[in-house]
Amino acid sequence: MGHHYITQLPNERYKFSKRGRLVTGFLMIVGLLIAGFGALRLQDSWQADNHSSELHENPHTDNYNSENHIASTHAENVDHHSSTHVENHSEGHHSTGWLSRVWAAFLVNAYYFFLFAVGGLFFVAVNYVANAGWATLIKRVAESMSSYIPIGFVLLMAAVYFGGEHLYEWLYYNNHKADLPADHLLDDKKWFLNRNWLYIAPIIFVTIWYALRTVIRRLSLKEDHEGGLMFFNKSIRFSAAFIVIFAFTFSVFSWLIMMSIDPHWFSTIFSVYNFAIMFVSSVTVITFITIFLKGQGYMNLVDEEILDDLVKFMFGFSIFWAYIWLAQFLLIWYANLPEESIYYYERWVAKYYPFFVANILMNFFLPFLVLIARYAKRNKYITLFGGILILVGHWLDIYLMVMPGVVGEKAGIGPLEIGFGIFFLGLFCYVLRHSLSKADMYPKNHPFVLESANHEVGP
Amino acid sequence: MYIAEIRNKLVQGDKKIADVTNDVLKSVEGKMTRGWMFGFAISFVFLMLMVWALYNTVTVGIGTWGVNKTVFWAWDITNFVFWVGIGHAGTLISAILLLFRQKWRMAINRSAEAMTIFAVICAAIYPLFHMGRVWLAYWVLPLPNAFGSLWVNFNSPLLWDVFAISTYFSVSLLFWYLGLIPDIATIRDRAKSKVSKAVYGFFSMGWNGSTRTWHRYEIVALILAGISTPLVLSVHTIVSFDFATSVIPGWHTTIFPPYFVAGAIFSGFGMVLTLLIIARKILNLESYITVNHLDAMTKVIMLTGSMVGLAYLTEFFIAQYSGVQYEQYAFLNRATGPFAWAYWTMMFCNLVAPQVFWFKWSRTTPWFIFMMSIVVNIGMWFERFVIIVTSLHRDYLPSSWVLYMPTFTEVALFLGTLGLFFTCFFLFVRYLPIINMAEVKSIINDRE
Repeated sequence: MGHHYITQLPNERYKFSKRGRLVTGFLMIVGLLIAGFGALRLQDSWQADNHSSELHENPHTDNYNSENHIASTHAENVDHHSSTHVENHSEGHHSTGWLSRVWAAFLVNAYYFFLFAVGGLFFVAVNYVANAGWATLIKRVAESMSSYIPIGFVLLMAAVYFGGEHLYEWLYYNNHKADLPADHLLDDKKWFLNRNWLYIAPIIFVTIWYALRTVIRRLSLKEDHEGGLMFFNKSIRFSAAFIVIFAFTFSVFSWLIMMSIDPHWFSTIFSVYNFAIMFVSSVTVITFITIFLKGQGYMNLVDEEILDDLVKFMFGFSIFWAYIWLAQFLLIWYANLPEESIYYYERWVAKYYPFFVANILMNFFLPFLVLIARYAKRNKYITLFGGILILVGHWLDIYLMVMPGVVGEKAGIGPLEIGFGIFFLGLFCYVLRHSLSKADMYPKNHPFVLESANHEVGP
Repeated sequence: MYIAEIRNKLVQGDKKIADVTNDVLKSVEGKMTRGWMFGFAISFVFLMLMVWALYNTVTVGIGTWGVNKTVFWAWDITNFVFWVGIGHAGTLISAILLLFRQKWRMAINRSAEAMTIFAVICAAIYPLFHMGRVWLAYWVLPLPNAFGSLWVNFNSPLLWDVFAISTYFSVSLLFWYLGLIPDIATIRDRAKSKVSKAVYGFFSMGWNGSTRTWHRYEIVALILAGISTPLVLSVHTIVSFDFATSVIPGWHTTIFPPYFVAGAIFSGFGMVLTLLIIARKILNLESYITVNHLDAMTKVIMLTGSMVGLAYLTEFFIAQYSGVQYEQYAFLNRATGPFAWAYWTMMFCNLVAPQVFWFKWSRTTPWFIFMMSIVVNIGMWFERFVIIVTSLHRDYLPSSWVLYMPTFTEVALFLGTLGLFFTCFFLFVRYLPIINMAEVKSIINDRE
């Protein structure tokens, strides 16, 4: 057809330079310093607050009072049996000292970066199962993202183990039952909301995910050395197994780690919502890493044809996210059952309302407008702009899932949250670049690699 | 475009471009076969059953149905949702698979889109006749009128349904017809009788096959595909809102929208497989609708079936977790109450049975896939029945607890819409090409 096809792939290997190591290490240290500074400042201001108001007997009841205030204003909007529930909700509220906010800020970032890692693995698996060829050249990028799973998970679980009583109201309630008024709903939920599930189930799930990741990665590296279709065919099977196991276990994972922060509340779509966040943000991260690598002089075979398709995924899945967001919001708003709508009432107070609006703007409306045009998908600056909206937007999204349930209205975005963000960014980049340097940039014996190298989007 | 060698050829059996026309038009240009006449006659008898059931419903009244003051929605809405769902495969294949550049869709999109249109017609019958006075059906539209303050309720998801489904029907019909124009022109050019030349000539809208005509055709096709894509999601999302915006235990659950869409695609592919496995055999189209097509479609069945299964389990879990006793009861009652047999039929057909497609043999053996597609159809019918009837038959007041049994009129109505669907499909096979010839010719040497 007159085309000149690429039939030979150059050997490329990412070199994790000394400067790169320094930069990532610097980010980690600076991030921790900023977060530490934020924590200290927070401690001071928190104590100053408590001294000034004599009404509070101890720091643990702060949130109790502010919650009651919200409850009384909402009771006007909702019908009678709501008031019993709202009381229930605020009754058992747990410790909300300044440390709670520190753990919450840590959890937001730990969870977010962990989602990138899992999302990278999911992207690799989906491409195998769908027999997709176009993304083969950037497969190693997604694969390397998943190398962050172990360290990311350890940090996430550190928050759960050491900050558990701060983060999870039900855990605090279970542990200090004698001193607290009874919360029947939490008593009813003890079969699921207990230490065994929270501490052990995520470890089992993530161990299985990482085991499958190890197999898929090993097959891919062997394919590089030995060639042949055997590794590819095996990878498809392991990827299919991963996707099925992941769908079921990730649901439980998101209920335990995220949904149980608001233990009185429930939503069946919650796990799908978390999945949407995971997929759209990790595709954005893949795009960013690819652009970054190209900027460093690597991945010259990856042209705007592949980036075009990646950005289509960013665009398409931000619409998907909005669809899931709407399904949850609209149905809860429309039925207005107090035990469900409390979730959004808590996010409509003055403290969170701007974030609530920004969430929809940054994750749906703005990326939709910025990324819809073809030239936007082929221009790296517009892509980066749209991608930053999505990445910051979903950080806010997770922030909105965590903060109201942990610290009530005593939230904010300051050095603490940003510092932890910088720390995790540094760590993630370090692990990613380390992993990238361990294998060839292109999976040269993958049966679809030439399809990817010669990829054209068409008109 | 560079395509890897390990991919299968889309059209098998070394077909030339002329073969496509001859093979596909055999059913249109040849004589009526006995099989066709036999199938058409049976479908037509069932269609007459529908006419009788509707006559009975209109002249006697809704009392001929088994609905009562607790189970006020039952058979009719079950079938309405069932038929709307069937239509989704057509839209998914022509819109979403187009966006994902899946070329295998080209052999099956025409017939799947036709099914969309017939299925929506079948679906529309149920709510229309449930109104009781079907001659006033136009009252569901927000028309300026002389009846005082009669105005539709824009807050009601039932009205959103009216808009969603009429949009869906119009766009699907337009898309289907647009794709047909070049093929109708081919039939026109080959027609021998004056009548068919005139009729096909009229519907081909003066198609001349010039580059300019093709150019315009492609632009319109792309725009319509763009419009259809959100429709795949929106239609069944709004159908799910009919239930989920309420406060009925078992209905009010936030996962309904994506779960209904997945279920619709699942059932739609079930029906597409049922019909295409027969059609490819009888019309000798195995080179075009290949085993690889069946393989891909069964994978979609397995994927969407598992998604639906995950939603069942999520619902069940969250109902128990919620601490809301009504939700807990609604789901336990589904699994253990008087309609437990329907619930376990649904669970088996939708979640368990499709897992057999993990094995390559089962994805490539047509008779087995045919059997499985029937299982899927049954399972998805029962899913809607379970959702609707089990949630309604236990009211908040135990004095209102009732059971539901369909009457003969209702059963006749369902069998009748099956008759309508198959009558339309037989007519379609006889008078229009069931494979998009123009598109298949463009990929005759391609790999998937």
